Amino acid sequence: MTKPSPFLNPGQTTKAGSLAIVHLSRDNLVPAILDDTVGEVNGYAEGTVINTRFGSFPHSTLIGQPWGSQIRASVVDTGSRGRKRKVRDDTDEPSNDTEEAASAKKPATAASGFVHVLPPTPEIWTMSLPHRTQVVYTPDYSYILHRIRARPGMRIIEAGAGSGSFTHASVRAVYNGYPTAAEDRKGKVYSFEFNEARFQAMEREVKAHDLSDLVQITHRDVYNDGFLVNGESPEADCVFLDLPAPWKALPHLSRHRPATEAVNGQDQPWVSPLRSDRAVHLCTFSPCIEQVTRTVDAMRRLGWMEIEMVEVAHKRIGVLRERVGLNMPGDRGSNQSPYDVAEAVNRLREVEGRFKEFHGRNQKAAKSANDDDVDMNDSVEASAAETNGAGREAAAEPPSDNAPSVPSFMMGRLVHRTEPEIKTHTSYLVFAVLPQEWTEEQEAAAFEKWPCGKESKVIGSLDKETRKKEKRELLKGKKKRKSEK
Amino acid sequence: MHSLVQPDAWVALKLPNGTLRVLQVTPNTTVSLGKYGSFPSNLIIHRPYHLTYELQDKREGENFSRLRIVPASELYADILTSSASSSAPGSPTLAPEDDDADAELPTGVEYSLVDATSGAVVAKTDRAAVLDEASALRQTLSVEEIEALKQDGTNAGKDLIAKLMLSHTALDQKTEYSLAKYKLLKTKKYIRRFCVTPLDVPMFDHWLLEEKDPIKILDMREEMIALLGCWANVHYGGVDRCENATDEEPQAESTALDHSAGRWLVVDDTGGLLVAAMAERLGVLYPPEKEETLETYLESQKPPQQKEAASGPKSSKDEPDAEAPEEATEDASMQEEAKVEAQIDETKETDVKAESAQDPGSHGINPKKYPTGGPRHRSNDLAVPYAQSNTLTLLHHNSQANLSFLRYYDFDNTNPAQPLTHPLATNLMTLTWLQLLDPTADTAYMAEPPAVTPEELRGWKTNRRGNYHRKRRRWARVRHVVDTTRAGGFSGLVVASTMDPISVMKHAVPLLAGGAPIAIYSQSVEALTALVDCYSIARRTAWISNPPEGAAGKTPEELETWEGNDEFPLNPTLVLGAALQTSRVRKWQVLPGRTHPLMTSKGGAEGYIFTAWRVKPAEGKIEARGKGRHSKRRKVGE
Ligand SMILES: C[S@@+](CC[C@H](N)C(=O)[O-])C[C@H]1O[C@@H](n2cnc3c(N)ncnc32)[C@H](O)[C@@H]1O
Repeated sequence: MTKPSPFLNPGQTTKAGSLAIVHLSRDNLVPAILDDTVGEVNGYAEGTVINTRFGSFPHSTLIGQPWGSQIRASVVDTGSRGRKRKVRDDTDEPSNDTEEAASAKKPATAASGFVHVLPPTPEIWTMSLPHRTQVVYTPDYSYILHRIRARPGMRIIEAGAGSGSFTHASVRAVYNGYPTAAEDRKGKVYSFEFNEARFQAMEREVKAHDLSDLVQITHRDVYNDGFLVNGESPEADCVFLDLPAPWKALPHLSRHRPATEAVNGQDQPWVSPLRSDRAVHLCTFSPCIEQVTRTVDAMRRLGWMEIEMVEVAHKRIGVLRERVGLNMPGDRGSNQSPYDVAEAVNRLREVEGRFKEFHGRNQKAAKSANDDDVDMNDSVEASAAETNGAGREAAAEPPSDNAPSVPSFMMGRLVHRTEPEIKTHTSYLVFAVLPQEWTEEQEAAAFEKWPCGKESKVIGSLDKETRKKEKRELLKGKKKRKSEK
Repeated sequence: MHSLVQPDAWVALKLPNGTLRVLQVTPNTTVSLGKYGSFPSNLIIHRPYHLTYELQDKREGENFSRLRIVPASELYADILTSSASSSAPGSPTLAPEDDDADAELPTGVEYSLVDATSGAVVAKTDRAAVLDEASALRQTLSVEEIEALKQDGTNAGKDLIAKLMLSHTALDQKTEYSLAKYKLLKTKKYIRRFCVTPLDVPMFDHWLLEEKDPIKILDMREEMIALLGCWANVHYGGVDRCENATDEEPQAESTALDHSAGRWLVVDDTGGLLVAAMAERLGVLYPPEKEETLETYLESQKPPQQKEAASGPKSSKDEPDAEAPEEATEDASMQEEAKVEAQIDETKETDVKAESAQDPGSHGINPKKYPTGGPRHRSNDLAVPYAQSNTLTLLHHNSQANLSFLRYYDFDNTNPAQPLTHPLATNLMTLTWLQLLDPTADTAYMAEPPAVTPEELRGWKTNRRGNYHRKRRRWARVRHVVDTTRAGGFSGLVVASTMDPISVMKHAVPLLAGGAPIAIYSQSVEALTALVDCYSIARRTAWISNPPEGAAGKTPEELETWEGNDEFPLNPTLVLGAALQTSRVRKWQVLPGRTHPLMTSKGGAEGYIFTAWRVKPAEGKIEARGKGRHSKRRKVGE
């Protein structure tokens, strides 16, 4: 058995050679296979280093840490790199031992900057993975896996693998331990991809994430060549198709040789990739309605039941403090307009008062020197500006009921907003079920084992009339009791 | 799991009008579908799920209706022909506007008689027959006549539909579309078809939400359950056991996977729906299935000699496994005990409520003081049945957890004699908030039944002895659950509760392992925005740069159990990435030429999910790297 995947069982601490997620900020998560190479790597004496805008983090500082740890940035000498690039950055601390790299260099902690290190999960992976294609995001894949009943011990077919976002989510769903022997039947993902480069990238990834025993990735055009692996059936319980033309793949997902295939290869026995002794759940994922129409038509022809099409509308929601008021601190995120009508009126009164005061004064002055029009206009403007400023100052004095000690993070009203940009459409999800076959022989055997004719009582629903009658009687009874009281 | 319908399984029967009938398939009973008719339960036992059946007319000499499997080709026949014709150039397209137009029926076109929601054809018309009868039947049928036809119940209702259609109005004056619509309505009412589906979590939630009682499950839609499970990273997390494992394999793997400890902490105010959903993800929801015939079933139903089956069919049916027989023989006395206990619990419950109301958890937790594992050596009464990993631990606010919905999965947490063959008996643990926060105030935790020497025991009456063993076992279980929970190290937290999430977080976060994900469902957004606000960047910055009184100078470990004050209800450095989201699924109708979203759907609580990760802050003061400095730094990094 290989070591368990960090996705499924990360253990308690980060390990060298294993995937970890470096959390920089909400939308900036960096996956890294931790490397404990001692000595210079890429010109860094500290070994492999992750450089971020929050500082530099040599892998050695990330290894062997409890998951979730906050890791301080290190002072990393970039001298040799800098020289190689001929861009010498003067702000870096000078260092003398750059060139004697062969020995390990213990990184020195920097004065500021930090990251957190998290264990990988499909959710984080989906946010941080290298995109090779469009991917299926958490709101869609969570619902899909739920609906197609991808549960521990199930076998799931997935095509195409693309960037592996869905692959990681589905392996977690079906995982029920690593197989201990070749014939040991465990939950497994059978993934197919026909693009060579993507197939190879997936293979590398699956290996790097210690998922090789749980994800079988096959280089295949499934439209033409179906879903068998080495001629054998995956015996899938559930299927997910994220392909441009699902209807071209569907005939392969039959219980019997589909009519379309009858011409070629008639002589060989046909093997179904589906599990024969239970219903199989399927989901296809297509962005366009025309694809849906064709897919659903094919599903109906091929005997899929309970066909249903849905869309998932998902929103991320931001939470913020809406700080509106003349007395709010003048930093970003505050809106220094009146909090309410009272505040507005108060301020207007103040402006008014100051204006009158000034005007009164001025009128007196005007009486004494009434030939100075221009001057007067200027001073009115000036005074108005002054009044504005003064008004603001006056309003900035906190109202008596608002204790002056309220910290800024508690000011204002707590509100929420939909994220600035919503994914209004990802794809249409078509679900369907293919029941297992049930032959007349099987039915006869079951009837034999469970004979009829000795029914003792009736279960289930009564028809409307009987129910109404019962209700009427119940109500009557209640009324009686009430009147008795 | 869910291959064939098991005897006594809970199933959902889908009826032509789109409603669900949820019932337990008791062998040797008649299943009534109301106006659609009835059939013997034995006809669906040990038959596959997801088949569509049609009730047949009673055969001569038989007093029951047999079932016919309706093949897909028959169900979809009319849609498929109509799609073929509508894709042909020049064929008339069907649109709602046609509804009342007096267009002639195009010849050679079949009526599309489809169920708009499922897209399935519910009945097929035979044009020749319809026209034949058209001349014979011109008048509108009276209600009595319809009833009489129903009584006939012939041909699974199809005759009735055909006649109703013809009696409605002159056929040739109806457009294809309006005819189809009319027939669809009638079909939904009278066709005698149904489909058997397993009552698994998706179907169960759907039923509770649409038909039963959405309030009881906090309006939690499927997409919310799915998001919760994913964000809390709930998955099979151990090697102890799994319902799908074909053969029990040795535990060798557990050492290899040390700390595989997949242990999730759950707070569930949905009557057990959340627990069921998470248990499904762990693979511990469904009891094992077995091969049976009516004969062996009835045999297993017989009460063990000398004693009537106290708890009804279920618990005595789920038979032996190494430990079970002992449990079974004690069944009757235990039932009694359980009643008594329930009473005690009831009186206790009010106390607990009062306590938690006035003092919502001022007791700090210090996990290290309570090492795991009791003094097992004394007697095997103290050996607990619980699994070490792949478990759910439920924190609840009544003295007994409300998990009533688990009864649909054959599990009754109030039954102390719950057979251990059900995976939940070993992989679900429950404890009260009081037991978590102040175990010494809990009688069940504190009252260790005295150890009695084997000699003394032998002298006791059977009843008393059983009682003694039961009490000690119960005590050992409570100890184990409370101690292991307080020791923390959980792999994740999932919550769907009406309690203030801030209070839940205060006590649950310290129990989580570093990096553990958190996912909280709430019906409304306000409770969760308040929670997110506790972790705002501004607040966290303030906590670090200017720690509140009582926090300064303490180690991160000490601050894990921060009591909270007005400014910092929670320690903002213990949680990372606090975020909110919501999601809603919208259903569509897909029919040739008539594809569009459904016109109506359920309202109610929108539902929101909070997600975050538990983190471990570094020791000492730590400063974020400022904006001004990073522009130069970045050059270095790239
Ligand atoms: C949208 S991507 C799948 C993304 C993936 N579900 C994820 O979450 O990352 C579709 C993939 O299907 C592959 N594909 C297209 N046609 C295929 C075929 N006939 N057989 C196998 N793969 C195919 C494409 O190469 C592409 O990588």
